[in-house]
Amino acid sequence: MSKHNEVLYGLYNDEEILLDAIRHANEKGLDISEVYTPFPVHGLDDCLGLSESRLHIAGFVYGILGTMTAFGVMTWVFTREWPIIFGGKPYFSAPAFIPITFELTVLFACVGMVITFYTICGMGPGITNPVLDDRITDDKFCIAFNVDGASSDTVNGLKSFFKESGAEEINSKTI
Amino acid sequence: MSDHNHNINIEERFEFTGREKSALMGLMALGVICLGWTYFLGGDDKELRFWTNFLHNSVFFTGIAFISMFLLAAKVLAYSGWHTVWKRLLEAKAQFMIFGLVFMGIILLGTMMGWHHLYHWAFPEITNPDSECFDQIIAGKKGFLNTTFYGLATLGFGGIWYLCIVMFRRLSLSEDKTGDDSYTQHRKMRKVAAFYMPFGGFTSAALIWLWVMSIDAHWYSTMFAWYSTASWLVSTVALLILSIIYLKSRGYFSYVSQEHLHDLGKYLFGFSVFWTYLWFSQFMLIWYANNGEETIYFNGRMDMYPLLFWANLVLNFFLPLLILMRNDTKRKFGTLTLVCCLVLFGHWLDFFQMIKPGALHTEHEWHGYECAGDHSHDTKHIGEKDHHGDAHDAGHGHDSHDGHGHGEAHASVDHGHGHGGSTFKMGFTIPGFLELGTFLGFLGLYFFVMFTSLAKAALVPPNDPYIGESLHHHVGYGGGNMEGDSHH
Repeated sequence: MSKHNEVLYGLYNDEEILLDAIRHANEKGLDISEVYTPFPVHGLDDCLGLSESRLHIAGFVYGILGTMTAFGVMTWVFTREWPIIFGGKPYFSAPAFIPITFELTVLFACVGMVITFYTICGMGPGITNPVLDDRITDDKFCIAFNVDGASSDTVNGLKSFFKESGAEEINSKTI
Repeated sequence: MSDHNHNINIEERFEFTGREKSALMGLMALGVICLGWTYFLGGDDKELRFWTNFLHNSVFFTGIAFISMFLLAAKVLAYSGWHTVWKRLLEAKAQFMIFGLVFMGIILLGTMMGWHHLYHWAFPEITNPDSECFDQIIAGKKGFLNTTFYGLATLGFGGIWYLCIVMFRRLSLSEDKTGDDSYTQHRKMRKVAAFYMPFGGFTSAALIWLWVMSIDAHWYSTMFAWYSTASWLVSTVALLILSIIYLKSRGYFSYVSQEHLHDLGKYLFGFSVFWTYLWFSQFMLIWYANNGEETIYFNGRMDMYPLLFWANLVLNFFLPLLILMRNDTKRKFGTLTLVCCLVLFGHWLDFFQMIKPGALHTEHEWHGYECAGDHSHDTKHIGEKDHHGDAHDAGHGHDSHDGHGHGEAHASVDHGHGHGGSTFKMGFTIPGFLELGTFLGFLGLYFFVMFTSLAKAALVPPNDPYIGESLHHHVGYGGGNMEGDSHH
């Protein structure tokens, strides 16, 4: 089952302080394991050196799949499987297929991206994810370090980093 | 993020250099030569070619001026902040409106004096039930389609637009001088904007019906105003991006960053799709309903102008959709410039195919028109109804005209075309060099007006309440910076 990790984390009151703290940590070469914020913080990705999400590439693939499904199935149904003349239009009436093709493109892209996102994040029905601190979903900004098996020197070093960079609280938790 | 703003030169002013002036003057001269060439040496139907080119470019650029103010008003009303660093560009772009009014005034004068036959509804005696030239469909629309209303709407509505533009500009300039924490000017700007948005929204629809849709006087579409306004909107955004990139290349606007261009790129992408949505809605409603008097509009264009018809979709939908879909393409100046040029030309073509086919058909109506009286200064075509050589008749059959002997002329569409077999005709089914020259001429004038206005004030409004927000604009794109932008 899931491995338990010892996590040391500091809570900050403001996103600007958080960003400065991250820059500070980068300068010191500290290995931040995760940053939690109650809302998207501009510039955070760059600070953490995160690469661009590839979720939208998946979205594009799902969208194309939706396009082909809708257009292909309608073409097959109306020209091969059950040809019916609607309003004097030819069997293959591409303009009439467009709205549904559009809808299915959007639907496939949305649903596919949601499922992919949930899978990547390890979320889903019946799964409980441990939360470091409830307030990081409300008004606190959090930097977390994985201190599993770390020496007390390292831990003390991290603690002093938190103090220097203006953290409001420093806690540790096993999750 | 906050450490790079201290050294920007907020007092920066644009200097309209002599080189730029002469380049733009050159373009304008080219435009004038092309218009003159068209009028005197433009081949068959040269007067028609002249007037349609004139109308086409006037409507296109007037619309861009209108939309510039519309965007500005929308931004002010929506408490938008990020546009502040480039809002002077929109203000400057809107100043073209006065030229637009003059040009549309010339079209109006031409309609009243019978200089051109762009508008079927303006033919003499056409709404007189006692005349043998009576056209019942047009008579049914005479409350809207008449010279008086055309004139009142063009000058009245357009004049009010221009007033709003002038008022807005004055407030913005006065804010530069005396703006303070009471935000007096900004509050007043919001009032102007709150009036301009609904007023402009409704009146622009009426004007686009009068200016462009009424060329096909028997035809109408409720989607038309949306569709052509969306065309203006995309063109405006494209010109805006091009101007910003040009000004950056001249060393101005160092603080208009990739972040701003990224968002403008999203506009270009989004509004291109929006345009397609409206284009397709109009097309599909008409295609599905399959009423002859409606389908004639698309039937003619698809049969006689296939290149225009499909190029329109490729340039204005498929290319921007595919090129701008990725995030990073909206941050590369080269790619953005390419797409902007494509869609700008694409939407110019869009207006070309809105105007030319209908006007050509109207010209044919005119040549066969028996009530023309003194206006008929060119009667040579009257005897040529069954001379199938001209590609003019753009497939417009008119059920209401059966009594006037147009049957044969329409039949020619099905027979292909007598000489040459080609359906292409420079200046009518596709734009020729004269059309392109005219376009460049108008573009030159447009930029001349814009640069003149831009040089009159600081490039960035120093006292705008949102200036700080705009300087810190950030779209949260995680892909890193590609053009050496030094934000972080």
